[in-house]
Amino acid sequence: MALSGQIAAELQRIVGADGVFTSREARLTYESDMHTLYKGEPDAVVLPRSTEQVRDVVRLCRQARLPIVPRGSGTGLIGGAMAPKGGVMVSTTRMTAILDIDLPNRAATVQPGLINLWLTDAVRDKGYFFAPDPSSQMVSSIGGNVSTNAGGPHCLKYGITTNHVLGLEFVTGTGDVLRVGGKAADRPGYDLPGVMVGAEGTFGLVTAVTVRLLYLPESVKTILATFATVVDASEVVSAIIAAGIIPAALEMLDEAMIGAINAAVGKVYPDGAGAVLLIELDGPRAEVETQGERIAAICRERAALFVSVARDEMERALLWKGRKEAAGAVGRIASAYLLQDAVVPRSKLPQIMREMVAISRRFNLTIANVFHAGDGNLHPMICYDDRQPEEFARAQEANEALLHACIALGGSVTGEHGVGMDKAKNLPLQYADADLNFMYRLRRVFDPDGIMNPAKLLPSHPACGEGFRPSRPTLPQGTWV
Amino acid sequence: MSVSARSLSGALGAVLGVEGVRDDAATLAAAAVDETAPRWVAVPATLEQLSQVLALAREERLAVTPRGSGSSLELGCPPPRVDLVVDLRRLDAVVEHNPDDLTTTVQAGVTAGALAGRLAPHRQALPLDPPGWGGRTLGGMAATQASGPLRVRYGTMRDLLLGVRFVQADGVVTWGGAKVVKSVTGYDVPKLMVGALGTLGVLVELTLRLHPVPDFEGTWLASFRSTAEAQECVARLLESTVQPSRLEMLDDRALTACSLPVAGAALAISIGTVEPAVRAQEALLSDIVQRTRGRFETMGTSFWRAYDRAQSAPGGVSLRIGTVPSRLAATFAETRAALDGAAVAGCAALGALRARVDADAAALASALPRLRAFVADVDGGVVIERGRRAMREAVDPWGPVPAPSLAVMRAIKAEFDPTGVLNAGRFVGGL
Repeated sequence: MALSGQIAAELQRIVGADGVFTSREARLTYESDMHTLYKGEPDAVVLPRSTEQVRDVVRLCRQARLPIVPRGSGTGLIGGAMAPKGGVMVSTTRMTAILDIDLPNRAATVQPGLINLWLTDAVRDKGYFFAPDPSSQMVSSIGGNVSTNAGGPHCLKYGITTNHVLGLEFVTGTGDVLRVGGKAADRPGYDLPGVMVGAEGTFGLVTAVTVRLLYLPESVKTILATFATVVDASEVVSAIIAAGIIPAALEMLDEAMIGAINAAVGKVYPDGAGAVLLIELDGPRAEVETQGERIAAICRERAALFVSVARDEMERALLWKGRKEAAGAVGRIASAYLLQDAVVPRSKLPQIMREMVAISRRFNLTIANVFHAGDGNLHPMICYDDRQPEEFARAQEANEALLHACIALGGSVTGEHGVGMDKAKNLPLQYADADLNFMYRLRRVFDPDGIMNPAKLLPSHPACGEGFRPSRPTLPQGTWV
Repeated sequence: MSVSARSLSGALGAVLGVEGVRDDAATLAAAAVDETAPRWVAVPATLEQLSQVLALAREERLAVTPRGSGSSLELGCPPPRVDLVVDLRRLDAVVEHNPDDLTTTVQAGVTAGALAGRLAPHRQALPLDPPGWGGRTLGGMAATQASGPLRVRYGTMRDLLLGVRFVQADGVVTWGGAKVVKSVTGYDVPKLMVGALGTLGVLVELTLRLHPVPDFEGTWLASFRSTAEAQECVARLLESTVQPSRLEMLDDRALTACSLPVAGAALAISIGTVEPAVRAQEALLSDIVQRTRGRFETMGTSFWRAYDRAQSAPGGVSLRIGTVPSRLAATFAETRAALDGAAVAGCAALGALRARVDADAAALASALPRLRAFVADVDGGVVIERGRRAMREAVDPWGPVPAPSLAVMRAIKAEFDPTGVLNAGRFVGGL
């Protein structure tokens, strides 16, 4: 559906002629996020520079009853920053300013389009960092991180995005500008920043974020341990936690993934391992040393094949390189894959990994695993041949079977990627009608006309799922998970 | 007693049984909220009973005040009406504790002290220590977003509450969040319920993130001639690799209340980790304190019990003051100037302070606008956490909320409790 000339002219008046794209080619560029199975091109893409421009765009769209889809860097993995019902996509790529850095109070305020890592880059020489580290942090925006409540390997120790957001400025679906929270502790009233984080743009658009900065740890230590099986490795995860140690990160890779990574980026992990644990500690040096020795001892006591501690920053970077290249490396062993983000209680890791093997056999598909073992957040990549529609259907079945298995063990539908279009249908697995009804009503408070990112986050009527062209549901090379 | 009141008593009794509903004079007087005695006290023993009681209350237009231990009944505006107090202390089961997952699920009436007892053998803890925490219920701590010294390391209830079951004003039982430590499935409903004073639902079950108890802990006192010097030390500590689990700043009166020698100001600091690291951090800490001209000495961890007693001692007025670390000394000074005799202390690293003072309503009514104006430019606020009814009638206990935010809060309240069943009139902006 094309926009009326009048709306297009209004949009140009608000954000400037160079900030509105309506050509077919331009709109196609924005038709999906990294989950390319879900496609939907917006009628227009606008690139505002200020809160006022965002507000005026929302007001215009509200009047015209046009859907609004917020978009940061488009690195989401859930079918979030795409426009299933057309409308106006608001991209934050021209809102990248750092508005304030207040080191004495360990806070920074930024525009939503700022790339996650750029914030740390701006304060690292003073000894500070921004803790949330989704694997996409080199390219994903802080506004996107806020909207999806992004996690990352190090959220095991540091918590996810919401734990680092002190305040927000956002424009609701009614076009009102709210400034909530702030640097000072404990503001009275409902925790509006708390519910806004992770709302995936369904309450409104984030226009500024005040975040906590942390002082860099004195010391970092990365340990690699290999095991014959993922079950052995899973038991070590439990043993580390039981020893009272919460590492900064605790990541696991399975045999299929190890093979793919070694093939893609050179031999970073030892041959013959059925599982790799990548364990990172950070903090005071003496703590890191003591806990590092304990962890190495736990690994050796529990059938580790090989334990190695990175000796310097180069070795550490190499150990992590494999992990960070995982999604791209899977391209070596499969033409396409589906990515799952479900969570299990971490004590159930051995069970779910056994289940995973069974599902892999039952559906006759390779499943490669790289995941945040410390908090039970799985990222199985279910490989299939995208030239075989039957195999794609099987992969989808296997994906659902896995999700159901996780929920049956007391888990969660999504740990850090979010819901988007991809998992909206799955929410009833975790929530009863009353729970979902509460969420529908909450959404309506912020967006009474239903214009904000429609068809995302909550299950809608079955008819709303129509109109999507499944195509290559492969994550592009260089995608991070 | 009117006919309808008698039939309501009968209806409550039918839901709750004889022991679950009280209307004798002594019970009602003891359950008074801001000197207003309820008509009934309901003591549900099950989630189903609570759900039915609220459905009945909504139908009969009763004003309901949920309560736990009763430690925070003076938080908020005096209620315009109290028909039914719902006492949650019979919902006191630890539903599950999964040591390997570092999670627990408890009913709202479990006290933090009782939970600590259950967790201690596993060397795990829920690191939440608002004043008087041992006797406070976890449901109450969530509803009031109560926090204490440990927040500098572990955050507050908002960071520790993973999932929550609550009963809405119409009796509908609702769940939000997850039972695992990481989940972004749907809206973060637990955040909405924390600090909402039960105005959107009565909390009945909480799933909480636990932490391992550190191997070893040290506690120290750093004394300074002035709050300015203490603030300087805080600034250096924040810009160091010292990782405190508590970092409280106390003025002279707060020190006296803990039976410590008087100084211009002091920092009480604890560090918990493996022993060699505590020793190494102690050396670093001592060095920073001495470089900022402070006196450094070791205390026992028993200090924190004394501090807790002093912070939770009955009587007087207690204020929560939100500011930022760069304004600690100025906020201490402003508070003491505005409120004669105030003792000020609190989390220095986050600027979450508490002032305790004996003051009357008039003094408070003149001091609060001044204090609120002072912290307003860092988006801070001042809330009366405890104080007699007259004080909270003389001055808004919550302080102003910006109009656009308040409009959204009003809309949320109107959506979920349109007839004002739950704590109506007690929350911000008279919600």
